[in-house]
Amino acid sequence: MRELCSSPYFGIALSVLAFGIGVKLNEKLKTPVCNPLVIAIVLIVGVLLIFKIPYEDYNAGGKIINMFLAPATACLAVAIYTKIQILKQYWLPILVGCTAGSLASMGSVYGLCRLFGLDKSLTVSLLPKSVTTPIAVSISEPAGGVVPITVAAVIGTGILGGIFAPLLIKLFKVSDPVAAGLAIGASSHAVGTSKAIEIGEVEGAMSGLAIGICGIVTVIVSIFLV
Amino acid sequence: MKIIRQIGIIFTVCWLSLVIEKLLPFTFPASVIGMILLFLCLFTGVLKIEHIQEKADFLLGNMAFFFVPAGVSIMNYFDVLKHSIVQLVFVCIISTIITFAVTAWSVKLTLRLMKSRKPENLQSGGGEK
Repeated sequence: MRELCSSPYFGIALSVLAFGIGVKLNEKLKTPVCNPLVIAIVLIVGVLLIFKIPYEDYNAGGKIINMFLAPATACLAVAIYTKIQILKQYWLPILVGCTAGSLASMGSVYGLCRLFGLDKSLTVSLLPKSVTTPIAVSISEPAGGVVPITVAAVIGTGILGGIFAPLLIKLFKVSDPVAAGLAIGASSHAVGTSKAIEIGEVEGAMSGLAIGICGIVTVIVSIFLV
Repeated sequence: MKIIRQIGIIFTVCWLSLVIEKLLPFTFPASVIGMILLFLCLFTGVLKIEHIQEKADFLLGNMAFFFVPAGVSIMNYFDVLKHSIVQLVFVCIISTIITFAVTAWSVKLTLRLMKSRKPENLQSGGGEK
């Protein structure tokens, strides 16, 4: 039985099954709390713990899925390229907003971590939490961060953004769709963007652009920081 | 063959970005180099969007799935989480609100400055809304 579970097929099949259940549940319940990724992670961790399957066995397949992260990140370029017209029209507010947002995110995380007395490895894990997961991981990992904590913080931030975006728009009186979209994308990356698309077309496009641009800005800033 | 060619193109870009990562004197993540490289290829016309459309749609559309294994590895870190989960949640909530507010306000300010500098842009800017 042990050999069967350590085959890469097992990890991949389990991941696809769990994610499929997550997507179905998300469609049924329609709330950002039921994020398909969160459901999949909870289901798989549950299965591994209940049947006492070692993480390493699951990860034989997990590694293969992981391999697709870098190509998927590269493809964010396609998402930016297809919006090249709005990028040209609004390049200045996009650049200013994404730079200010990325700095505010990293600055506030750093300050809060110091305030709560979190150690360096946790601080580094949280620092890139507002950018999309592959970029966040590629910043936190070489700097000595704990990758799964980065992943959890990024997903958590995204879900928060998805839930509270409409509320924050009202609270801070953001009537301009360009400002609202960029703010959602800069604070809560792809999960927030799916909410921004629901709010409006301009919001969705801006939020989508902010994912890639904030990613690049955060990477550049972190070269000097860590 | 079409899909295989698209996979070939994207994986080549990823491999080239690994080469560039090695050559750079500072740490810059290869995945972001790949993103910049792919954008430049599209922008300069070296690659046409049709060359990679289906594969890119597949990768972007299923982005969340590729994070499942990375997320599952959290089970190896339950001890670390147990000690600091409350602080972690607070950091996430507060900094998300700050990031949202700073971005929204800086964009509003920039748009306002642009409009007061160039009144002729008012029309096109206003038309977008």
